[in-house]
Amino acid sequence: MELFFQQLTNGLAIGGIYALIALGYTMVYGVLKLINFAHGDLFTLGAYIGFTLLTSMNLIGKIGPLPTLFLFGIIIMGLVGIAGIVLERIAYRPLRSADRLAAVVSALGASIVISNSIMLIYGARFLVYPHHILPNFTINLLGMKIPFMRIAMLLLSIILMIILYLFVQKTRIGTAIRATAIDHGAARLMGIDVNKIISVVFFIGPALGGAAGFMVGLYYGQLNFMMGWMYGLKAFIAAVIGGIGNIPGAMLGGLLLGVIEALGAAYISTSWKDAIAFFVLIIILIVRPTGILGERVADKI
Amino acid sequence: MVKKILLFTLCLSLFYIPMGFAKSKIKIGLMCPQTGSWASEGIDMKKIVNLLAEDINKKGGVLGRKIEIIDEDDGGDPRTAALAANKLCTRGIVAVIGTYGSSVTEATQNIFNENKIIQIANGSTAIRLTEKGYKYFFRTCPRDDEQGRVAAKTIKKFGFKRVAILHDNTTYAKGLAEEAKQNLEKMGGVKIVFFDALTPGERDYTTILTKLQSKKPDVVFFTGYYPEAGLLLKQKKEMGWNVPFIGGDATNNPDLVKIAGLDAAKGFYFLSPPVPQDLDTPQAKAFLKAYQAKYHALPGSVWAVLSGDALLAIVKAIDGSKSTDPDKMAYYLHYKLKDMPGLTGKISFNEKGDRVGDLYRVYKVDDKGNFVLQPKD
Repeated sequence: MELFFQQLTNGLAIGGIYALIALGYTMVYGVLKLINFAHGDLFTLGAYIGFTLLTSMNLIGKIGPLPTLFLFGIIIMGLVGIAGIVLERIAYRPLRSADRLAAVVSALGASIVISNSIMLIYGARFLVYPHHILPNFTINLLGMKIPFMRIAMLLLSIILMIILYLFVQKTRIGTAIRATAIDHGAARLMGIDVNKIISVVFFIGPALGGAAGFMVGLYYGQLNFMMGWMYGLKAFIAAVIGGIGNIPGAMLGGLLLGVIEALGAAYISTSWKDAIAFFVLIIILIVRPTGILGERVADKI
Repeated sequence: MVKKILLFTLCLSLFYIPMGFAKSKIKIGLMCPQTGSWASEGIDMKKIVNLLAEDINKKGGVLGRKIEIIDEDDGGDPRTAALAANKLCTRGIVAVIGTYGSSVTEATQNIFNENKIIQIANGSTAIRLTEKGYKYFFRTCPRDDEQGRVAAKTIKKFGFKRVAILHDNTTYAKGLAEEAKQNLEKMGGVKIVFFDALTPGERDYTTILTKLQSKKPDVVFFTGYYPEAGLLLKQKKEMGWNVPFIGGDATNNPDLVKIAGLDAAKGFYFLSPPVPQDLDTPQAKAFLKAYQAKYHALPGSVWAVLSGDALLAIVKAIDGSKSTDPDKMAYYLHYKLKDMPGLTGKISFNEKGDRVGDLYRVYKVDDKGNFVLQPKD
């Protein structure tokens, strides 16, 4: 039983990251019906910007670790968000009226461009975040050892997701985003600047991805220009499990995928971990083709 | 007027081509992963081979001709590698160096063999590559069965009873894991309590570590690559689990200590051919000095250095056989080349094209994060 709970907490911490990245896929899909395959690389970009900030500016000694990380987190979210807007302008807007397949190919191309640019700038070797920025002590809970950072990471992901959910549900821009998701033409007739809304979506999604990248960098410490591929793929699966285009679905899908992987590895086989996750994906798609929470088709985002 | 000038230039160039051939350089191909997840190895290979080629040219080249290195990116991917190999074959090369991954090299073997181009791989340790009877294929790296034997011997020598073996499902890592398992079972007295794989490229391996821990092994033998090994060590330390880890030769990379952190990395054992830093030969010392003077760093891993040995062997074969004919060169490499002083020790090949001699040594990471060569037996 102890093994079960230990694996459950392992899975939840991984799932929190998947969920945060999945939100970027799901928001873009909701508004544009486009799968932004470059999203994983924007996540990588966030991790690398965080590395540059941490190693070039010595703020930790001046204002303490927590305010520094908070400030850097905001800067990273801003910069990656802007990168997202630029990406949309260059790679997707010219293809808005083209076939949907053209935009997907463009997304794959953008993904290669971003990851290889990162390689050319930072080099192909693994980079490592400075060690011991945050105190990492282990909490003993009912006989389980849980590193504090894992709990913090999960909590932070959930807080960011709640903020996003409230933003989309309660604010004017959020309402406009939901309206655009339902029907571009009708939203335009209602006086919504659809291009602006799409830019907002392309700011928020990548910003969350960038934040996830920074968190992964801080906790796992190891950076590589290819890291976004694996996370992007898993987050995409998470988005589909939960029902792509649906924000709570992305959160649920991410956490679920993390837990399925962890328990699959624990009780069946570690090398079949991914196969088990994909198997669950297939079952869900057969039983509910729209994903677990994907029933409200009209209310896509 | 424009047409006349064009015609004139064309005539001139036609006239000059035969003269150009007379003094032409000897072209040697280099196939390495300059993009993709092994890009750091490939870029280092390119640096080392170019450095040595410059040095050879400064000393007058070989047979009075300069050598020219033509590199192609294989992306660490078999499909890209096949394209790169075809492209290299059209460029008039006499021999090719590379590449790193076994499955990548395998995709190019028959292309080079059909074109009668000598190929010397530097990082491809899979056993079957030299079991196919290709006449023009060689490698400067050792084979996995050799490493499997050394691994089993080392585990036995340390006196571990419950052994967990973890690989990453790549051709290389799985082959090595199975080789070690068979050897351990043959020796007896050791119980294999865990044999499974992780998914490379992830960041979080706590689920696998938690499962490993529940099997209570005395030692974990991980046959995968250094990025995963670093994370495993780091996360194992965080869990407060104190089990010794032994790594295969793909963990021999200084970045391992950076990724794991000093605390977690110390005490880690791994198997590897000796790196130039540990060799006393004048070749190794001169090479290290030149490399540091030019690139202001130490070479990353032993695999990239082995590509330098491949170049030295090719040049030696051209020089020794006094020709660039592939059959004469292959004959020279198989039967005439004996104990050539290379960057990683003495180099000779057997009739299969494998490097001769037992190369594997045991290394340990010390308190300062240095890789310390352990005394042999």
